[in-house]
Amino acid sequence: MRRRDFLTAGLSVAFVGALGGCSLPVFPKRPDPTEAHALGWIRCRDGAYRLTLPRIEFGQNIATALKQIACQELGISWSELTVDPQETTAIARVRSTVGSESVLFFAEPLAQACATLRDAIASGQLKGELTVTPRAREDLHSFRAGAFVGQSPALEQGWDVVTGQPIYVSDQSQPDMLYGRVLRAHASLEVPTKPKAWNAAAAQAVPGFVALVEDDVFTRVGSQGLGLVARTPGALDRIEAALDLEWDIAGQPVHADLDAALDVDARLARGDLDHEVLDGRPDAEGEWQVDLRIDTAYAAHGALEPRAALAAFDGPDRLDVWVGSQDAFFIRDTLAQELSLDRDAVHVRACRVGGAFGGKTICTVELEAVGLARAVGRPVKVQWTRAQEYQTAFHRPPSSHRLKVRVRDGRIRDWRHGIVSSHILFTSAALPRWIQRITDIFIGDDGVARGATPPYRLGAARTDFDLLRLPIHSGPWRGLGAGVNGLAVESAMDEAARSIGADPIRFRLDHVEDPRLAGVLRRVATISDWPAKSAMLDGVRTGRGVACGIYKKKSYAAVVAEVAVDPDGAVRVTGLWCAHDCGMVINPDQVRAQCEGNLVWGLSMVLYDDLPHEDGFVTAESFDDAPIPRLSQVPPMVVDLIDSQAPPSGAGETAIVAAPGAIANAIRDATGHRPERFPVQPATLLASRGAEAG
Amino acid sequence: MEIHVNGRAVVVPPDWQEETLLQVLREMQGLKGAKFGCGVGSCGACTVIVDGVAARSCVTPVAGLEGARIRTIEGLAAQGTLHPVQQAWLDQAVPQCGYCQAGQIMTAVALLEANPTPSDTEIEAEMDGNLCRCGTGQRIRAAIQNAAGRV
Repeated sequence: MRRRDFLTAGLSVAFVGALGGCSLPVFPKRPDPTEAHALGWIRCRDGAYRLTLPRIEFGQNIATALKQIACQELGISWSELTVDPQETTAIARVRSTVGSESVLFFAEPLAQACATLRDAIASGQLKGELTVTPRAREDLHSFRAGAFVGQSPALEQGWDVVTGQPIYVSDQSQPDMLYGRVLRAHASLEVPTKPKAWNAAAAQAVPGFVALVEDDVFTRVGSQGLGLVARTPGALDRIEAALDLEWDIAGQPVHADLDAALDVDARLARGDLDHEVLDGRPDAEGEWQVDLRIDTAYAAHGALEPRAALAAFDGPDRLDVWVGSQDAFFIRDTLAQELSLDRDAVHVRACRVGGAFGGKTICTVELEAVGLARAVGRPVKVQWTRAQEYQTAFHRPPSSHRLKVRVRDGRIRDWRHGIVSSHILFTSAALPRWIQRITDIFIGDDGVARGATPPYRLGAARTDFDLLRLPIHSGPWRGLGAGVNGLAVESAMDEAARSIGADPIRFRLDHVEDPRLAGVLRRVATISDWPAKSAMLDGVRTGRGVACGIYKKKSYAAVVAEVAVDPDGAVRVTGLWCAHDCGMVINPDQVRAQCEGNLVWGLSMVLYDDLPHEDGFVTAESFDDAPIPRLSQVPPMVVDLIDSQAPPSGAGETAIVAAPGAIANAIRDATGHRPERFPVQPATLLASRGAEAG
Repeated sequence: MEIHVNGRAVVVPPDWQEETLLQVLREMQGLKGAKFGCGVGSCGACTVIVDGVAARSCVTPVAGLEGARIRTIEGLAAQGTLHPVQQAWLDQAVPQCGYCQAGQIMTAVALLEANPTPSDTEIEAEMDGNLCRCGTGQRIRAAIQNAAGRV
């Protein structure tokens, strides 16, 4: 038993012991989907089949994949099955849509339920409840290539997207609906702040003004908000300006100097870090061939849809809420607790989400809409401004890494990786402080640890991390820790290969035991015509890099990147190749689409993702302040899927373990300079500097 | 005041005349295709075509549009047949989350109407102001190339 497992088991005892005077927050529940649950997702009435989507659709096109499974298992045509979005009153609780687990955990229960339904209908049973007798996977019709599985049919909701149908939460309307916003101080959410003085008369004089609302449900950690309601959305801006609001801001946040707080070397100077990932004992004495510092910045999710919610009361005790959340049931539970309503009286409708990436997992804007709707007695829609998205949501935490590698006789003998990061799973954005203290001491944070275990034979390896509560909230982001940990690990692997003049693919293969990882490495070498020599033409330096990884022990990716670095240090990624193995593929085109997304996210991690902040407050207000890649920055991408009959796993976050490392290694190849701070600053890659380093 | 939306006259009552074109389309007219993404014209999700030119409706006050002819994504398909750009978007399976795609499509339509066979560089120059976080760029490029010459 690992230390973390043991202590997790002890957590319930710790909670009970600590309960005096504290109220428990709502925890997201994560039931395993079963065949019995799945029977509640699919039904047939008068020959018409309907599937209530047990997942949230946010662009992974899981609705298409699950429809493929259902149609093939039922033996029906594409048009015979209608897919309905999730509603909390329509199906039993399902877990949040996170972690690339929708196909992994939901496809087979759905197939089992569909097989049962198919057989019942074939035997003439057209009414009543069914029970599933699970059959072997090979007896299912849908776990093999067929009419739909292994194909790439029309995207579910594709027509709706390209014709502008109202499928997102911000598109929803209700009769007599008003528009709302909750204003907050421009300060860290960790600092107690509240509205101090405002010009109510001026606000009321603005055409369209409806109400100012003070309500405790608007409080987020230390931030007490002030609500506005208006008859048109634009009036909210004019009321906000007229209010001339002053704030009480009680003090400064701790750790406002993030670089100093995160400095992994300062922490390692005091000994091993608190939370152990790998417990080997590398030799502390002697020369290290690689000694590398990697730092990554805060990063926004940057979803194009600012979060939104629409709330409508039906009398004082019944509530309808439209959400764009990754967890409709958690929203329901949280609203029910905060408003002292019965859970069954809160009806949450999940809309297609305009980008989530792990960022829409907690209850925020929904409470604002509900509080405002309760105050004015009419339906209220709230959509955050882009500035609110940056300032009030949580983000990918910054992190600081020290990696040391000792190579002997062509093999890694010692590996030392220390990490300082803020939290990903046990985020300050969702947990009260007394629970934070318990998780920090007893649990750590598996989100920070994700992907920190290299997929290699390493000799004596120690990896550990420290957690730091920071004034800007952090939390889940695509791949959790796996993206930045992969970037750090693969940068060190590249340097280790270089230290002995080895080809970086050959060097990795020499350290790989898992044949599926070796398979994607060999495949990416083939499709990218590996190797290619670094070159310089007219002052433009070009180079290539490789990286690979395993996501959640189940999905495999290897990526080759090609970059061109201009004399002024500007980096252009000119080509990306990806080999990907997620087992049996249900929808090849959409697995490729997920790989493309991860490749672009990897590019963004290396070159762009950075959220400016000051004194514990995010200062970014628009995409101009926190850029994401533009079309001209997206290179040609080649994605190749390994043909596999292994059980299907996930594709939503796999290639992000390899893409950033491959790009960083290509920059190293082109310039001779190892990128250590991300996003990379062009000034560190000037041609003159490359000549010195190279 | 009056504007023309997808070929139909729309009266903008006084209550809505201080709003942006985006909010008039979405919340007054119920045309939800154009999206709010940033509110400052830097992401392109709100793009519609005003008098033949792609415009950021989130920073376009409706008050200045008396008599203007506005096309939105809802007006692209004619009698149930998708516009060639919409069809190309489906053929390439472009959308992931889809939130930016109405704006992408409207910018692409305006581009191809002005320049039926744009080069890759011209496509990038025109489309760089339409952001997509999901990473659909490669497919957007392919869809525009496929639709070129058919608009």
